[in-house]
Amino acid sequence: MLKYIVRRSLQAIPVLFGITVVCFMLMHLQPGNPADRFAQNPKITQAQIEAFKHRWGLDEPLPAQYCMWLGACGDKGVLNALPGGNLDIVGLTIALPGGDNGVLHGDFGYSIFDGQPVTTIIANRALPTIILALTAYVIWITIAFLAGVYAAVKRYGKFDSTLTIFNYVGYSLPTFWLGLMLIAFLSVPPLKIFPASGMWDARTVPIFGTGDYWVFVGAHPIDAFVDLGRHLVLPVLTLVLVSVAGDSRFIRSSMLDALSQDYVKTARAKGLSERRVIFRHALRNALLPVITNVGLEIPFLFSGAIATETIFSWPGMGRQFIESVGHNDYTVLMGILLITSVVVVFANLFADIMYAVVDPRVKYD
Amino acid sequence: MDPRIEDVELTGAAGPSPDYEVALVSLNQWQLAWRRFKKHRLALIGAGIFLGMVAIAIFGPLFVPYDPTFVPVPDSQFCPGSTTQLAYSGCPPFTPGHLLGTTGSLRLDLLTLVVNGARISLLIGLGASIFSAIIGTIVGGIAGYFGGWLDNLLMRIVDIMLSIPILFVIIIFAKIFGNGDWRVILIVFAIFGWQGIARLVRSLFLTLRTEVFVDAARAVGVSDLRIIFRHILPNAVSPIIVSTTLSVAGVIIGEAFVSFIGYGVNPALTPTWGNELTAAQDFISQGNWWWPLFPGLAIVLTVLGINFMGDGLRDALDPRSRE
Repeated sequence: MLKYIVRRSLQAIPVLFGITVVCFMLMHLQPGNPADRFAQNPKITQAQIEAFKHRWGLDEPLPAQYCMWLGACGDKGVLNALPGGNLDIVGLTIALPGGDNGVLHGDFGYSIFDGQPVTTIIANRALPTIILALTAYVIWITIAFLAGVYAAVKRYGKFDSTLTIFNYVGYSLPTFWLGLMLIAFLSVPPLKIFPASGMWDARTVPIFGTGDYWVFVGAHPIDAFVDLGRHLVLPVLTLVLVSVAGDSRFIRSSMLDALSQDYVKTARAKGLSERRVIFRHALRNALLPVITNVGLEIPFLFSGAIATETIFSWPGMGRQFIESVGHNDYTVLMGILLITSVVVVFANLFADIMYAVVDPRVKYD
Repeated sequence: MDPRIEDVELTGAAGPSPDYEVALVSLNQWQLAWRRFKKHRLALIGAGIFLGMVAIAIFGPLFVPYDPTFVPVPDSQFCPGSTTQLAYSGCPPFTPGHLLGTTGSLRLDLLTLVVNGARISLLIGLGASIFSAIIGTIVGGIAGYFGGWLDNLLMRIVDIMLSIPILFVIIIFAKIFGNGDWRVILIVFAIFGWQGIARLVRSLFLTLRTEVFVDAARAVGVSDLRIIFRHILPNAVSPIIVSTTLSVAGVIIGEAFVSFIGYGVNPALTPTWGNELTAAQDFISQGNWWWPLFPGLAIVLTVLGINFMGDGLRDALDPRSRE
């Protein structure tokens, strides 16, 4: 088993390497670069733009830039030798970080757009995404599980047919459109119940993640919790409605499969109570594929939230991603892409391992 | 019951003669599938919805009263028949002359927009899915048939492409090709949509290539390419059809989202269900719920139809998968 984990982890390295190469190439293939935002400013001279490009190594050939980002080129990389300080561009002072060691040294570099460390930006944005995704995830897995198992046990009953219809519809709803509709009907008069966007009420609560915010949370924990909860309702509802559909269908068919097995017939023939047959014999076996599937959905929590975060202006990683695309902020984009790919690769591995853990019949070598 | 017995057509009735005259009409695989599909009520409804949408996409634009880019000359600050509803915020459904209402700002007719949007949305959904099915079948077939290092290489490429968020790639390509041409969007969805089918076809080929008929074909000297496409592929075609059908729904939703956030099809050139929603977002707060509602409903209805149809096809083409 350990050998299998190690081998799979090693196999992940070339895949991750490939992902970063492809992403890096794609990003630089597109027209426009981070210096474009100065182009419209008549006060900025060509020489200053060149200086800006040189500072970020944008004037180097592409392989060299990739190597610098990776940190594999050692001392030869332009970025490593850089002092910190301010880059003075008329009317615009941009704080510059010091040396940048590259991803291989655990250093994701600095945002080309605002000079903040990429790790800081991602860390700030990760918390809102985790809050949103985790809340939605816990709710939808619980609902899907209960609904799926119940529908399977009472197969072809009223609940089962209602759930089937609901699943078809939920499965066909575009997430972003569902979000728009919820806003249109639940946060616009006459039914103005929930806030349409954001994560906190800017009139009463300090900016999320700042020191002030945590002071506020300490002083008024209930207010802070209620405020966050109110803002969570619509985005969580959007994610839950769409995701329950797919998952309850999956859990239902897995449970049906288990209920038709010979060991369930045996259990019934032995005269065990129906409750015991369902919970002790069928359910435990139905859980196997469900656990794998649940593991495979983890990456979706990060990438799939993009639509929801865009609609509800939720300050998470998905929105940061869209913003950084607009700014051509290569370093931040690479950071987000690398982290999501690592999550994808290891969620797959995790699902495979869980499968072996819960099912003794599965053996890897 | 054995499906072969169920599907045999028995003709002739019990006559006076004690010997019944029983004529067996042999049906091929596709005729059998069609019979099962016909019995699947939801699948028929789904096919009906989908074909209806296709008909609207083809003929609809000839019948709607306005041009999708026609901007009416405002004759009044208010909507026709109203003294309070500002025309700038859009007129609600059932306004005289506008069955589904109008959009805010440009005051375009929503019915016209939805009907015209069907064309490109469906074209991208169908086109991209068919293209990616072709690429996926070729790559998966080659990987599964030959195995070895080629399989390893192709599957690692698939892994890499599946791990890159498709949204990112589409945004980049949309920026490279600039103008939001729907053909570009179609091709991007095709290039980044074949990986799932490739995995499916590969796994089918891995089992099929060990069948005796493949050995037999090889023994009489049939070329590898011919074995792949003429001997193995016909046995793998049902799951490919089902998966392609369902992927049409995915592409339609994907295109809608990308166009919605402004990196897809350019709304000034071609209306699609997705890009019609972009500007609608700004008018929701003014109480205009009908603008985002109708293009979205068109998407939901189409996708629902395709999903019904796909499930029906799965049951019809692969009776073993029936619960």
